Amino acid sequence: MFETRRLRSRVFLQILLTILVVPFALPLVAMVRGSFAGSGWGNYRTVLSLPLLPGFFVNSALLAAAVIVIVLICTMTAAYGFSKLHVRGKEIYFWALLATLTLPEVVLLAPLFATVTKIGAYNTLWAVILPVAALQVPFTTLLARNFVDGISDQMLEAARVDGANAARTFWHILLPLTRPIMAAVVVLVFINAWNDFLLPLLFLQTPDRQTVTLVPSFFVGQYNNDQTKVLAAAVITGLPIVLAYICLQRFFERGLAAGALK
Amino acid sequence: MTTTTNEVGAPRVRSSVHRRERLRSPAGLPWILPAMLFSVGILYYCLLYTGYISTLDWDGASPLQVNVGAANYARMLKDHVFWGSLWHTAAFFVVTFTVQVALGITFACLLHSRLYLRTLYKVLIFIPVVLSTATTAPVFRQIFAPDGELNNFLRAVGLETLAHPWFANGTIALIIIMGVQIWQSTGVVSVLYFAAISHIEPDVIEAARIDGAGNMRIISSIVWPGVRGTTIAIAILTAIGSLKTFDIPFLITGGGPSYATEFFGTQIYRVSVSLSQVGYGAALSVVLLVLAISAAIVINAGGRRGGRADV
Amino acid sequence: MSLSRKPGPCADAEAASDTARISAGAAPHESSVAQRRKRSRLRRASLTRRAARTTIAVGALASVGLTGCGGGATSNNGGSATVGNITWWSWTPDNDLAAREIAAFNKQYPQIKVTYKKVPIDNYAAILKPALASKDGPDVYTVNASGRFSAEAFAPYAYDLTSDVKRLLGDDWQSKVYADGAKAFTVKGRLVAAEWAKVGAGIVWINKGLFDKYRLQPPQTMGDWVSVCRTFRANGHGCLREGLAGTSGFVVDTLHSIADSVEPGAWKAAVDGQKKWTDPALVQSLQILQTMSKNGILDEGAVGIQQYPDVNNAFLSGKVPMVQMGTWYQQYATVNSLTAALQGAGVAQDTEKITILPIAFPDIAGKGNPSPLFADPDAGQSVNAKSKARNAAVTFALWLGHTKEGQQVVADNMDSFPTLTGVAPNFDSIQLVNPGLQRPALQDVSERLLQATEARSVGISAALNQGIIDGCQAVVSGKSPSDAAATIQSAADSSR
Repeated sequence: MFETRRLRSRVFLQILLTILVVPFALPLVAMVRGSFAGSGWGNYRTVLSLPLLPGFFVNSALLAAAVIVIVLICTMTAAYGFSKLHVRGKEIYFWALLATLTLPEVVLLAPLFATVTKIGAYNTLWAVILPVAALQVPFTTLLARNFVDGISDQMLEAARVDGANAARTFWHILLPLTRPIMAAVVVLVFINAWNDFLLPLLFLQTPDRQTVTLVPSFFVGQYNNDQTKVLAAAVITGLPIVLAYICLQRFFERGLAAGALK
Repeated sequence: MTTTTNEVGAPRVRSSVHRRERLRSPAGLPWILPAMLFSVGILYYCLLYTGYISTLDWDGASPLQVNVGAANYARMLKDHVFWGSLWHTAAFFVVTFTVQVALGITFACLLHSRLYLRTLYKVLIFIPVVLSTATTAPVFRQIFAPDGELNNFLRAVGLETLAHPWFANGTIALIIIMGVQIWQSTGVVSVLYFAAISHIEPDVIEAARIDGAGNMRIISSIVWPGVRGTTIAIAILTAIGSLKTFDIPFLITGGGPSYATEFFGTQIYRVSVSLSQVGYGAALSVVLLVLAISAAIVINAGGRRGGRADV
Repeated sequence: MSLSRKPGPCADAEAASDTARISAGAAPHESSVAQRRKRSRLRRASLTRRAARTTIAVGALASVGLTGCGGGATSNNGGSATVGNITWWSWTPDNDLAAREIAAFNKQYPQIKVTYKKVPIDNYAAILKPALASKDGPDVYTVNASGRFSAEAFAPYAYDLTSDVKRLLGDDWQSKVYADGAKAFTVKGRLVAAEWAKVGAGIVWINKGLFDKYRLQPPQTMGDWVSVCRTFRANGHGCLREGLAGTSGFVVDTLHSIADSVEPGAWKAAVDGQKKWTDPALVQSLQILQTMSKNGILDEGAVGIQQYPDVNNAFLSGKVPMVQMGTWYQQYATVNSLTAALQGAGVAQDTEKITILPIAFPDIAGKGNPSPLFADPDAGQSVNAKSKARNAAVTFALWLGHTKEGQQVVADNMDSFPTLTGVAPNFDSIQLVNPGLQRPALQDVSERLLQATEARSVGISAALNQGIIDGCQAVVSGKSPSDAAATIQSAADSSR
């Protein structure tokens, strides 16, 4: 988009871009360098030899998977309903849903804690899965609704003329068309579920239930805040997400852009 | 509410045929029910419960609950930490929004140009988005520590007099928090603008260039108006995000020094969990919610007045 | 079709669906749509039947599994006292020290398996509360004598240990342990925690090597301190470094020491509510703290750094000559703990191990008042009344705090002091960095701790603690001491 025909402007723009990107990369470099301070690879060895470390990854994966499934179901059905179907007072419902976007996790602590202990779901993954999913649905519905708004009505009308009911239209026609936004939702929700910290901290107590985000806090003791191992743990727990992003990058951008525009 | 467009771009005509078809449109209520029941159900339940708790003097666990009516709200008005949080949130929103939009558009435009290593740059700006704050906060604490990376660098290049204990100054600490947020979110903003800009007709830009417009002129006259919808959406999300800010100040400065980086989230956590004054924490939460909804309404209305905005 | 599949709980359901399919297909007069509908209905029916059976099976297995995991006969009289699996939650000690204590415990009780979980101190109260309210809480949990996670705060969940302690130590058990501990951990007549460790504060730790390098003596007055710091700073070191950020609140100890130097007894009176925090003695203490931050004693930037890890790492890696920490710091006189700390600080493997020595807090007000050590029962072990392995948990909790063997391990770990009378660290078995200098100094601190009468944190509520931290941060940032005193007073008033 910018003028790149002349060598001088191309060089200038390349340098400008590099200068702007460097502050973004520096903390990452600092993180990796800090994780090697002191004992070097030994830090990684200590973190990796934590008992039940694979278990943490499994729990995080389970959490993410469950949240993704719940969110996808709620989002796609709601996007279809809000966008293409007739609901009386639709916008009121929609605004009611969006209003919940304003809730920070921290506000949910007191009611969740009281409820979770009363129904005995304490120390189960469900105590984390349900609130996390509930918090994701408003935003993903917003994205998905915008996307579905952009799908031509004609195809859906044609299907209806053919005798398909809403369910079949949804399953056979709408869903295949919404692959980009579904991919975006999956990636977004995966990131948020994998990185969630506060709820697992409070509700998951035994190491066989805990998720990967709690690993760095293992190394924060009363008298010994072991920064090097905290950073090594941070690198280890962040690596899967970064790799996943790099591989799925294209899907994500396409979906995110498609849903947020219009 | 919205004027939708089909893929070609022409506005849809509302005809009587349409109205008839509308009536025959299948009922959507069962479809939105899962989302409504699940999200709205859980979250509004929590909201109402919080509203109830805000009238209590309770520590969150013991069976002793004393009803104090609006006393928690009255206390809030006199609490200088509360007003501080409000001020910090407002400043945070203005600064992060402005810088993120500026950087976002710049990156988006640069990445649309024919430069080398574009994918690498894009990945580098986006990685901060996917990393959780719990993993990156220790890094920032270390960078700005009195004998951390930044000060070591300044000493190494001879700028020793500039080497300060950065977190000791309230204003600087707040700026650092804003910086971390910008570092973390510019990736998303850039991607959104990147996609929005790709919808601008390249012919328009070519024509402008032939007419002699420079880069800055193109940005201000073509790009900026063209991405208006995205900007409004980002404004709302940033406003709500500013009100919800918790992870970054909590993990990096803990709200200090002397509450200079206190936000609603950190204050609610401290009051509810550390001081066990769950009633007051709930009252703060209710006020937070009201502020967030008002902000969303105001921004949306303001954006709508200025043009077509789709939310 | 699939009639050769081995029989299972779903076999007859599948057979039924198969026959249904065959019979549906064998009725050619039915339209294809109707056939399909019938088939799908039958399939759904068989699926539902299959689902029902599976649910019942899973439910049965689950209930068997749950009772099985309960350890056989789930008696509600607490299970065996010598066999069982228990979990122990605490914010202290660190994992390696806990492992040593558990290993020593297992020498006497090999059949009680203890799993230790270290919870970050900042989140301890938040995590413990819901855990104890549920049925999945820990069997043994550590509590403080006061503050956010005090014995009192969690008393409703604790089991009364009085009878067990009497059985172990006799009816006169209170004379055999640290008296203040027994008092602090008795809530409404119930002994809700077995005291286990105590700490003291009010001393300052120095890096002897740095002092020797510049031929300096430990300061004893404000004037000494200023000149000592001048020398250190001229040579590129800091002087007294303290971290006021975060929630740890070690600055409360500093203010306490200053107040004791200004007017003995004033601090205790203020904490008890008999004096106001705006009393001249306390305002003067705040003023002195402000002076220290301006005349070169206190390193600048204190409000922006945390004691752990920032100051801790700086001191232990030899960059800073003085810190004000309490008796728990003596663990860094041992080679093992110092090595681990240096690794955590991220310094090179061959960094020289410093010799730390305790000194009394200087007479900073210049009035000649003695500088006391103030001590608290640091922690006690509570037993969860809902625990399924309660008796085993009681055995462990009492072993740690009330038996010679348990207390000896605590003493030898060096991060806390034992509370059972007659137990002292066995210095012959501990490897000190510089035994010649450190051993007599540590023994001296040990004796002074035994004679300490002033309380450290008992009686200070969470709100008051926060108020004092806020006041100290304010004066170090330059605000007026009388304003700071007023904020402390309002915090004290609101917590009554």
